[in-house]
Amino acid sequence: MSQEPVDVLIIGAGASGAAMAWSLAETRMRIVCLEQGGWMNPADYPTNRTSWESERFTGPFSLSPNGRGRREDYPVNDDASPIKISNYNAVGGSTILYAAHFPRFHPSDFRVKSLDGVADDWPIDYATLEPFYDLNAQMMGVAGLPGDPAYPPKQPPLPPVPLGKIGETLGRGFNKLGWHWWPSDSAIATQEHGGRAPCINLGPCITGCAQGAKGSTDVTYWPVAVREGVELRTHCRVREITVDDQGMASGAIYIDENGEEQFQPAEIVIMACNGVGTPRLLLNSRSDRFPDGLANSSGLVGRNLMFHPYAMVNGLFEEPLEGYKGPAGCLIISQEFYETDLARGFVRGYSAEMLRGIGPASTALWGMSSGRLPWGAEHHSAYDGLWDRTAGMVLICEDLPEPENRVTLDPDLVDADGIPAPRIEYALSENSLKMLDHAVARGSEVLRAAGAIDTWSEAPLPPAGWHLMGTARMGTDPETSVVDPVGRAHDVKNLFVVDGSVFVTSGGVNPTCTLQAISLYVADHIKKNLATLFD
Amino acid sequence: MSQDKLPQPLFSAVLDELIPARGDALAGAGALGLGEYVEAQFGEGAGALLPALAGLDDLSRERTGEAFAQAPSGQRGTLLTEIAGAFPGFLDGLLFHLYAGYYQHPQVMEALGLEARPPFPGGYPLAMGDLGLLDAVGTRGKYREV
Repeated sequence: MSQEPVDVLIIGAGASGAAMAWSLAETRMRIVCLEQGGWMNPADYPTNRTSWESERFTGPFSLSPNGRGRREDYPVNDDASPIKISNYNAVGGSTILYAAHFPRFHPSDFRVKSLDGVADDWPIDYATLEPFYDLNAQMMGVAGLPGDPAYPPKQPPLPPVPLGKIGETLGRGFNKLGWHWWPSDSAIATQEHGGRAPCINLGPCITGCAQGAKGSTDVTYWPVAVREGVELRTHCRVREITVDDQGMASGAIYIDENGEEQFQPAEIVIMACNGVGTPRLLLNSRSDRFPDGLANSSGLVGRNLMFHPYAMVNGLFEEPLEGYKGPAGCLIISQEFYETDLARGFVRGYSAEMLRGIGPASTALWGMSSGRLPWGAEHHSAYDGLWDRTAGMVLICEDLPEPENRVTLDPDLVDADGIPAPRIEYALSENSLKMLDHAVARGSEVLRAAGAIDTWSEAPLPPAGWHLMGTARMGTDPETSVVDPVGRAHDVKNLFVVDGSVFVTSGGVNPTCTLQAISLYVADHIKKNLATLFD
Repeated sequence: MSQDKLPQPLFSAVLDELIPARGDALAGAGALGLGEYVEAQFGEGAGALLPALAGLDDLSRERTGEAFAQAPSGQRGTLLTEIAGAFPGFLDGLLFHLYAGYYQHPQVMEALGLEARPPFPGGYPLAMGDLGLLDAVGTRGKYREV
């Protein structure tokens, strides 16, 4: 069944799709967004229940789409990757379960080839994105503290998340070593902002924010975009982007909430499906004209997949830290080792993001798995030495693009609608392994400096495939990139990509605010060039 | 499911041995009623615990002349350790669900000094902390120019 034609079809209602929809809404064009998930109900989030900790591991709020068992999710074959995919499908996309850590890329991240002789430079730079970073910070409600020497001047609109006792403890450790640290830029409303209630320090942001303080796009961009006239159709899974005789995108075939196949004609198609979902859909959109998948004349759709290899380092302290209070993933960032120093044995670098402590049940489960918490007569005394005495960090290593790391279509696996599912092939590079080793050593060092009496680590962290980048990379040359510097497919004039797929390099920070800034930048280009967009 | 129902009070005695009473302040995990929670978490898989539990009772009768629940408390730990060795994996899943359930129990949360409630809607007060610690950081270095 064919729907009424629209001007703009956005596929995906997550971080970048929401920003695009909001920005284009002012044009009064007919805009439809198709999202395979539904609206979230904050009353369903685990922090409404005392079982909030155990609900992290299994069930509908666990990180892995393969483990959740929700129809809205598509399966991912990540058997051939040491890093497993973590995402979410809903209005808000993966921002529903993200930590809301919101660091920007550095200016140097856009000039990796020029500065360090590896990977490629981006065709855009920090200055190009800066106004869109600022705009996005207002819309998402970013909390932070001006003056961070690791960045050009910026002014977060909200005061920072509290350090609390745990932040002070860790900050003193960094100061003892003379290393950089700063309160994290966080998409968390520390005051009322845009109709959102302020953060009340529930703790586990990564199972959804019942308070609505976390900047997931279902509570930031979408309410405004819908009010401005954007039509958001939920539980609609796109199977294929169609093309006309001229090789232009003509719309999309999708399965609606009733399981019926529909066709949505559109003048412009914008993909915002993340670094796995976008190549999956492009590769599923084969035609006589595009036999290798849509926009894939370069053969690069799906290639150069970048995660961020993560290490986790934790420490045990002698004093209670009140670590179970406050946004679990947003506290302090250190970028002491962000830039290249070849004396370290690797190129590029990483961020260290401090974590608050864990809850009582998580403490017990960690104690069990680490052999620190016996059952029996010694149980309680051992637990007393662990409870509220842990602090740690994740170390986010820059991942360089390599064509062998890729997303393809699995020959057998399909989603609930029979659409071929993605398959991940990914291996850690020697550079990443050396960087992880360095990160673990430095992480342990600073925890000891902060007073930790014991430390332990894991690297790479398997379930850390949150950041999905590079699989439809941006560039000026159609032979070495998929989209041009304004996100338009080289091969298809009216097809745009605005998610993490377009990243040329990964930086060493969480990508959400950068991919949203890119989306706003592309939207701005579309708005300013509507009359000549297809010339 | 009913045919696989775990035998009480044997199961409760096992849980009390795994997480015993905390002095007079807090009963053991079995006495707190964690048995029902753990059994529910296993769902239809709870029946997989039955052979080990039966073996535990048999071993207890052989060694002490009493069922496990009535065995001298000083010997229960040894019996449980031995049966865990004979049934690999028996304690792994059991401890996972037990620890998760026990440390979400209202009485246990209160014993830890917490309020017996979910995080929302009450939340937690949290002090900003000393931002003066950053004074030295702000003067250190600068981002990499391009």
